[in-house]
Amino acid sequence: MDKKSDAKIKEVVTSSQIWKSIFRRKHDDTKRSRVLAIVGNFFMHLHPISVARHALALKFTWCMGGVTFLLFLFLTLGGVLLMFYYHPTTGEAYWDIKDLHYSVPFGKILRNTHRWGGHLMVITVMVHMFRVFMTGSYKRPREFNWAIGVILLVFTLLLSFTGYLLTWDQLGMWAITVGTNMARATPFIGHEGPFGEQLGMTAHNDVRFALLGGSVVGANALLRAYVWHCIAIPLIVTFLIGVHFWRVRKDGFSGSL
Amino acid sequence: MEAENKSTNSGTTDKVANNACPSVRRVGRRKFMYYGGWGVIGLFIASVLGSTVRFFFPRTLFEPPTMYTIGYLFEYAQGVSERFKQLRRIWVVREVDKLYVIGAKCTHLGCTPNWLAAEGKFKCPCHGSGFTPDGINIEGPAPRPLERFKVTLAEDGEITVDEGTSFRGERREWDKPGAFISV
Amino acid sequence: MSNIIHILFLKDNEAIALFGIIVIFFVIVAFREAIKNDRLKREGKWPPEEQSGKDKVLAWPFLVRKEFLVAIFVMMGVLIWGIVRNAPLEEFANANVTPNPSKAPWYFLGLQEMLVYFDPWIAGVLFPSLIIVGLMAIPYIDINPKGNGYYTFRERKFAVSVFAFGFLFLWVVLIIVGVFFRGTGWLWYWPWQEWDPHAIVAETNYDFTQFIGIDSKSLLGSVIGGSVVVMYYFLGMAIPYAIMRAKNSGTLQKLGFIRYMVVAFLFWSMIGLTIKIFLRLVFHLKYAWVTPWFNI
Repeated sequence: MDKKSDAKIKEVVTSSQIWKSIFRRKHDDTKRSRVLAIVGNFFMHLHPISVARHALALKFTWCMGGVTFLLFLFLTLGGVLLMFYYHPTTGEAYWDIKDLHYSVPFGKILRNTHRWGGHLMVITVMVHMFRVFMTGSYKRPREFNWAIGVILLVFTLLLSFTGYLLTWDQLGMWAITVGTNMARATPFIGHEGPFGEQLGMTAHNDVRFALLGGSVVGANALLRAYVWHCIAIPLIVTFLIGVHFWRVRKDGFSGSL
Repeated sequence: MEAENKSTNSGTTDKVANNACPSVRRVGRRKFMYYGGWGVIGLFIASVLGSTVRFFFPRTLFEPPTMYTIGYLFEYAQGVSERFKQLRRIWVVREVDKLYVIGAKCTHLGCTPNWLAAEGKFKCPCHGSGFTPDGINIEGPAPRPLERFKVTLAEDGEITVDEGTSFRGERREWDKPGAFISV
Repeated sequence: MSNIIHILFLKDNEAIALFGIIVIFFVIVAFREAIKNDRLKREGKWPPEEQSGKDKVLAWPFLVRKEFLVAIFVMMGVLIWGIVRNAPLEEFANANVTPNPSKAPWYFLGLQEMLVYFDPWIAGVLFPSLIIVGLMAIPYIDINPKGNGYYTFRERKFAVSVFAFGFLFLWVVLIIVGVFFRGTGWLWYWPWQEWDPHAIVAETNYDFTQFIGIDSKSLLGSVIGGSVVVMYYFLGMAIPYAIMRAKNSGTLQKLGFIRYMVVAFLFWSMIGLTIKIFLRLVFHLKYAWVTPWFNI
């Protein structure tokens, strides 16, 4: 195993048709290869080709936006795996969590990291918002991206909120009961809100009824929370993240004077 | 010059040390850290993939039991009994000198055959496989006879079925102990 | 003191302790950077050479490498957290038994705290809506061109102070309060006190007009209460406007009337919330304005 045969093997592999059809750039340290690493790669071309040096500093960006996105991917992957052992019914959901925790191979660490990752994502999205505010990176021309960011913040909270119910334990069920009881206090469309009664709102047709799929936090609420948490909100968030990143690329990193 | 752009030469160029141990390949600290670091990441990814694969094989199953009782000997008359067909997917067959249990799973592709008492045979509705009352395949695409499950007799006459052990007719296993209960 | 350790490791509460630590850390980072930049500007050394934006580095490998390291760090943190601490799972959901206390997820605890001082439709619907709308409005009402892309305090005093008040004080601190200082019955407990599910605290609160001897539910009471609220907003918005007009303020000219109204309304709503909390805690004020349909 000397250097010459290593180089020979490398040469043979990297000049093969299979290799060249997948990797279209040389993996050396030339500027060309480095540029192609960004521009010629589906995942990497999210980045610009070059950035201002000061924009790299963690003291400036904190990387919280990136961390939030990373956690989103991690939670999506973990969430899909969790779905293989979870039945969204009131009779089974709770026991499935126990099953994941005590019996499924690596189920404990999967469930734990999903829960903690979710909390961490709520934290990092708030810290990201704080950073963007403190560097004034929402000012012209980036106003709309900030608005999209606020919507993403709301959806992150909603993802956490819908996920809370899925364990079907006392903690989740009552947290969601408290939360959705606020909904029935909405003016006009909540049956206990100002002017709600006058508009014919009852516990069986107001906005809370629509959210829960019923008048109580029951089987329908669980299933709806499941669909919101696993399909609907992730789809919406993916779409919004795409726009959010597009805007960052088009408007450039703030701070270059 | 970009300050972050560091040289990619390997670490040591210690000629004295090189000459002292010519047969030893000098790696150098940089290369060690490089391969070591990526190696650890590689191990980590490998273990994540491995644990994901293992994740898909549950340890506890919430399926019907594979060991159960089916009553007493005296409860079964001669012939094919459909008493446990719905609950356990088996036929209990009593012959003159023995009792055995046939699994109601067609050996072609796994459908549940029907016992046609009038015609004296099992007939599978999926592709027309036919079996004699003792399970031998005589018609249709079934390649082999229906399987029998292990049966044991308790002292008080209660019959226990264990689906964990099966007996195949084409391998001449139907005469083995456990494949039937002598009456 | 044992109770504080007990609460700290209860359910999801470690996440909130982590939240507090992370926020404090980054607040320090942000303000240190802001103070440093302000000092540089004062000394005339602005912009520093490295911030001119002319010095560019390739994203591959420098940016990607940094992101990779951050990703490794975060993933290791989450994994270790998941190995060392178990996610909570309480008893099977029971619609007939409400746990005491019954808390919303931690990020909503600031809003749940508002329920002490305001009706559900305000605390649970109006405030969240105002917060969301207010946040989205920030770029459109902040017309100060300074501070675009760098930390500063001196050049953005109003914006930074108001945001810090709203986010750090009202949002973050109220979450901390909701987690650690609210116990059974949503009563106030200092961290070293044991939670007593049978404790009863007698608290009588009075509506505003009752302080001046008028029944708050009567027509006169409603009118007075309503005037108080309206006058609060009117004076709060009109007085600074008048002052700025008198001084021929350039800020006011750039803002324009609509933006000014939006800023003033949001600002005084936020301050009003705080004032109401204070009045309730100190003077036992229940409602400032009572009507047959809603109470504020």
